Amino acid sequence: MVVFGLFTVVPILYAIYESLFTSRIIGGTVFAGFGNYSQVLSSGPFWGGFIRVIIFGAIQIPVMLVIAFFFATVFDLGVARWGPTFRTIFFIPFAVPVVVAAIMWGFLLEPTNGPVTHLANLFGFGGTNFLSSGLILPSIILIAIWEWTGYNSIILYTALKSVPRDMVEAAILDDTPLWKIIVRIKLPMVRPAIVMLIFLNSIGALQLFVEPQILLYQGGAITNTWTPIIDVYNTSIANAQYNLGAAMAVVIALVITVISVGSMAFRRRRGELA
Amino acid sequence: MSAVSLEGLTKVYATGVKAVDALDLNVEKGEFVVLVGPSGCGKTTALRMVAGLEGITSGTLRFGDRVVNDVSPRHRDVAMVFQNYALYPHLTVAQNIGFSLENKKVPRPERDRRVRDAAGILGLSDLLKRTPRQLSGGQRQRVAMGRAIVREPAVFLMDEPLSNLDAKLRVQMRAEVLRVHRRINATTLYVTHDQTEAMTMGDRVAVLRSGQLQQYGSPRDLYDHPANLFVASFIGSPAMNLFEAALEESGDGTVLVLGSQRITLRAGGGTRGGPASGAPASGAPASGGPMNEGPASGAPASGGLAAYHGRKVVVGIRPEDLGDPAVGGGSREGGTSAGGHASHAHATLAADTRLVEMLGSEKHVFFSIDATPVRAEGVAVEAANEDTATSGILAGAAPNGVARLDPRSSIDAGTRVRFTVDTERLHFFDADTHQAIQTTAC
Amino acid sequence: MSAPTLARSGDLTATPNEPGRESRRERRRRERLEEQDANIPVQLYGLKRGTVTGITALCVLFAIFTLAPVAWILINSTKSQAGIFQSFGFWFARPFQFFHNFSLLFQNTDSGTYFQWFGNTLLYAALGGGGATLLAGLAGYGFARFKFRGSKAFFYITVGALLVPVAAITLPLYLVYAKAHLINSIWGMILPSLVSPVGVYLMRTYVDLSVPRELLDAARIDGAGEVRIFVKVALPLMVPGLMTVLLISVVAVWNNYFLPLIIFTRNTLYPLTVGLGVWSQTAERSGGNSDLYPMVVMGGLVTIVPMIALFLVLQRYWRGGMLLGSIAN
Repeated sequence: MVVFGLFTVVPILYAIYESLFTSRIIGGTVFAGFGNYSQVLSSGPFWGGFIRVIIFGAIQIPVMLVIAFFFATVFDLGVARWGPTFRTIFFIPFAVPVVVAAIMWGFLLEPTNGPVTHLANLFGFGGTNFLSSGLILPSIILIAIWEWTGYNSIILYTALKSVPRDMVEAAILDDTPLWKIIVRIKLPMVRPAIVMLIFLNSIGALQLFVEPQILLYQGGAITNTWTPIIDVYNTSIANAQYNLGAAMAVVIALVITVISVGSMAFRRRRGELA
Repeated sequence: MSAVSLEGLTKVYATGVKAVDALDLNVEKGEFVVLVGPSGCGKTTALRMVAGLEGITSGTLRFGDRVVNDVSPRHRDVAMVFQNYALYPHLTVAQNIGFSLENKKVPRPERDRRVRDAAGILGLSDLLKRTPRQLSGGQRQRVAMGRAIVREPAVFLMDEPLSNLDAKLRVQMRAEVLRVHRRINATTLYVTHDQTEAMTMGDRVAVLRSGQLQQYGSPRDLYDHPANLFVASFIGSPAMNLFEAALEESGDGTVLVLGSQRITLRAGGGTRGGPASGAPASGAPASGGPMNEGPASGAPASGGLAAYHGRKVVVGIRPEDLGDPAVGGGSREGGTSAGGHASHAHATLAADTRLVEMLGSEKHVFFSIDATPVRAEGVAVEAANEDTATSGILAGAAPNGVARLDPRSSIDAGTRVRFTVDTERLHFFDADTHQAIQTTAC
Repeated sequence: MSAPTLARSGDLTATPNEPGRESRRERRRRERLEEQDANIPVQLYGLKRGTVTGITALCVLFAIFTLAPVAWILINSTKSQAGIFQSFGFWFARPFQFFHNFSLLFQNTDSGTYFQWFGNTLLYAALGGGGATLLAGLAGYGFARFKFRGSKAFFYITVGALLVPVAAITLPLYLVYAKAHLINSIWGMILPSLVSPVGVYLMRTYVDLSVPRELLDAARIDGAGEVRIFVKVALPLMVPGLMTVLLISVVAVWNNYFLPLIIFTRNTLYPLTVGLGVWSQTAERSGGNSDLYPMVVMGGLVTIVPMIALFLVLQRYWRGGMLLGSIAN
């Protein structure tokens, strides 16, 4: 019985740690009063950064999911040679820290000698600067796609594999064309996984920080309020305005939490949540 | 020309596992054929080969006179009901049933009509707008059947469709399946591991074991003339009693030596055993293949037992062929010994009863005799020592046989009794090959 | 659900050789064949000829895209600074100074020493990742096999932590740390890493599937204490799940950037991510006047090699459906 307690204590501790932590965070900034909050909420560049990450997510996530679903389906159906090898290769970026990925791509996209720039020249797009303020966002989108497609496709692949085999066999006996099998049978059955991924990826996208931060000094396109989290970082660390930064962080956290909870409620209402 | 014929069908997997071994089978148009056997015997694999979901390693599969080995399952005009129903969870019942028609681009009005008809046959008309999640097991099974019949295919395949239902529902659904079959008169191949389903549903039944066909015939045939030990013990419940025994010559007849007892069989070795060679008794059209005949034992049709004089055999006694002499013979005859059954030779068998189960409609008496029982695979079982725990409860050695008696019998446990034995219905098997020993049958 | 499927190909379990004496290669071959058998044969999909080749080509393209940066870093770690900026990115150039660059990592720079960062990262990953795995295992086991008041609620809270936008609360966390004197403490890095909602979720699912209640009950009836039961009965069954959680936890800590960036001001405590970040920024800021570039490239390479190696070695643990299937479900 005593030891039984041990196993219940650990999970409880976990949960307590979480809540304590989160509430102290919210609580810890109240002392600064609401002045900071109004400053944050009325700050143009802050919201500009927010809009930027929303655009970022709105483009990056669908593109990445489409590619991920494509390859997940390819692997699930087995319509490519050496499938397992490719699965492994595609997953490698997950093992690469985002910092290193940003550094690597920074070099690849270098306007003077980067291989990608050379490639662009070959195709007639001479003189493009991928790190210029015009193209920096698409470049970061590219980097994000590189980082996350493999991971997403493995998740989708696993979800696809859990579609019961006899369902597909029944469809085959009915002479269902392949596209129909994918779109009308498999896709609806992995919808929960797709929704979950959109959700997880969105939370990540809104908190974009590392890639632009690393590329900060290359090309000068990144401002110090480029994304909300960058804004937080600069406000707090660079400018030592901790309280303002904290207020900013809380606002961001609240917005994201509202979105999370909202979509969970949405999912629960549709009966998808376990 | 059969609707479906399997000729030497073999399936060997890439891993070297041989799931189906030279299976020969035919199904006539409109016939309901059951493939039955224990788990892993290859029956599902065989079914899937007919569907085209498994490749055929060797042998020929024909639909009519068309060889379909290499025809894609999409074009074989075959419908299948899966064990887990395989319904599309996000579509309604109507959409599930109509799915195949969509593929064939059947126009909407006709599609709806056919769906409604199929639903009508299966009693699903009120459920057309529901999704599978909202249905019970039996209902889902019927939707799966509806999906199959709406296509009006040439061949119906069913893979243990009733296994996931509870016992009571299963009995109900058995009748349903047969009713639908009669209604649409579809050529059907049905797979199950339940011998009761096989016996009650099949026009003809094929028993498989380890990928090999053991016997193929009508249920009657399988029951009365099992071709080998396996079929004998697989079909029938409670299972046939099997013992090691020996045969001896006696005058112009045969004596069965069972443990310490000797039972005289009728002169000329006229007891039954083994399937009728070439006899059309089973009612199934002769397929010409070796499957309907007994084992190639080489023994002459008459006096087949004579060849075994002085040798060991395995004798099989169905529980219902043992009777309580006080109640006029075996439960099958029922009634009193009105004398009308004088033609059946009744010898007696002495036994010690161990346990009695009163079922109401019959009485099961578990007994032991001093002969060695035989397991289906032909492995002799060590007597008594097997289960010391029960020996105390069961008043002595563990039982090695069971008799089905008339419910009016008053035989009790722990007594020494003499059962009547219908020697005409004894089965004999070669102790080494396990094949049934042929004797004159008719 | 898929049980009949697998039973089909293993209908008759005939082992060609003695079982249990299969070499690893034989076993892998058999598993691959079984996997093929378990999938629907491609021909049944009715594809046009050449589709497979076309799709394979697409895979190759994406593979090139995926491996390009890795190839780049591998090749350019052998170059001098001038080489990096002047020679063709995907081929070697004179002088070949791989080992020289490697030795550069040992020197102390203003922003710290590479191998010290490496050691730090190892420490955080081992303690944080290992600890997270242990805790996830305990918690998963507790949630799966013990009924206690509010267990459902606690579980949802724990998993709900997934919703917490980590980057957003890091700064407030920093402020909390400041009060608790956890700035520049390794525990500040390790403690948050111990909490892994994904790990708890995965382990609970895994324990549910792989540790039968009856086994535990039988052990209890035999008089074993709870700890003993956990260690001797449950733990061995949980190993594959634990390995998976270990893999993700370690990767998460190894790759973490934002947290250490905020809470560490002393560069001796930096993990590799932060250290490299600083080098990279320093290099860029000075606009080519520093000679940090080869170090950055080589440093990046050395950072990713262990993780990639770990991945390849532990492939079976993230290939298996369990890992991400549970998230997907």
